[in-house]
Amino acid sequence: MQNISLHNYQDYLLRYIDGALDLRETEALLAFVTLHPEAQEELAALELTKLEVPTISCPNKALLYKNIFPVIVEPETIVYPHKQKLFKKEKDKAPVVLLKWWAMGAAAVFLFMMVRYGILDQKGGTALSKNSIPKNNVSKASPLAGVKNNDVVNTVSLSATKVVTDEKNMTTNAIEYAAAQNIEHQTIPTAYTVSALETVQNMPSYNGDIIDVKRTVIAEITLPSIANNEEATEIIETIDTETASSNRSVMVGAFEIDKDKFRGLFRKVNAIIKNKENNKNEK
Amino acid sequence: MTEKDYNESVLLYADNVYRFIVKNLRHTEDAEDIVQSAFEKLWMHKDSVEPLKAKSYLFTVAYHLLIDHTRKAKRISLQESFENDTQAAYQENKALKKVLHEALATLNETQRSLVLLKDYEGYSYEEIGEITKLTTDQVRVYLHRARLKLRSYLISPQQVL
Repeated sequence: MQNISLHNYQDYLLRYIDGALDLRETEALLAFVTLHPEAQEELAALELTKLEVPTISCPNKALLYKNIFPVIVEPETIVYPHKQKLFKKEKDKAPVVLLKWWAMGAAAVFLFMMVRYGILDQKGGTALSKNSIPKNNVSKASPLAGVKNNDVVNTVSLSATKVVTDEKNMTTNAIEYAAAQNIEHQTIPTAYTVSALETVQNMPSYNGDIIDVKRTVIAEITLPSIANNEEATEIIETIDTETASSNRSVMVGAFEIDKDKFRGLFRKVNAIIKNKENNKNEK
Repeated sequence: MTEKDYNESVLLYADNVYRFIVKNLRHTEDAEDIVQSAFEKLWMHKDSVEPLKAKSYLFTVAYHLLIDHTRKAKRISLQESFENDTQAAYQENKALKKVLHEALATLNETQRSLVLLKDYEGYSYEEIGEITKLTTDQVRVYLHRARLKLRSYLISPQQVL
């Protein structure tokens, strides 16, 4: 920085007016001015040449903007006339009943057994009625001659009872049916002479899965005529016992179910439930 | 420069450019035309102008438009134009300011532009040189001459109030 003197102070003053001096030069110039009155007058005169910023605004500034006012196209208000028809209301659903695990298991086992043992028919009928011996069928199947139908039926029932006693697996359906028939005909004939060859032609037998008719040849049975009432009575009693077994059936809705078939099942289910409860308690 | 930057430049610098032009020309309508032309040019070249350089670009364009305009209208006396500009938006009430603007009118276009750019916009010598296409030393010398001329006008015996 040059020293400010009377020869160069005007240049410093002009630069000071223009704001082009740094801090050190400004301080030096102001110190010089205070010492030299002519420099002070010159500074005052030059300060008058400095223009004040006027408050002038551009009159048509809005014309200079570009796309500052975007055109907003309002959407057409098109209303669908049948909007009310489109609303949907969800129908009340049936209440969901939550079953416990053991109840669900029992139901599953029950259904399984129903299907397994053919109790339920796909057509909706009961197996019992399907497998039961039709009255006319028995009468037709029995080749007994000279005997009335009712008598034949009774004979078949009796014969069947005897045969079934040997075959433990004989289904109770036939027995029940026979017993029922026997009940219907309480007037048991005192004497029978039955040649019961193939009398049980259509007698159902239980072979595990399917109840079908087993063709059995039975030896000729000759019941004593009138005198042997005791024997007939015994047979009748046996039939009565079997008839009592018909009470074991339980009507579940439209289905008739034999209790004996589910006796083991319920035990098993109870055993399973007990085991699981015991396991829980142990844990 | 985007459209948003351009509109922001209008908001920030339109008054400055107009003030610079109207003080030079002392004619509002011509000043408006020049300002509008300057911004049109900025809009046309907005893709090549950086937003930070927008102000400098506008003053550069406006200055050259001003020079072109004054050269074309040289036959018209600036003094007459100023006297006829009775409808100017600005009115200088103070006598000193009026004398100062009379003194400003005695300067040539370059000197007046340098003074206006310096006092109104606060540009440095370098920035004024960029706008006016002058060197820094030329700006400084021309500007100092303009100051001394103004001072001489103000302190002349007939102007002393």
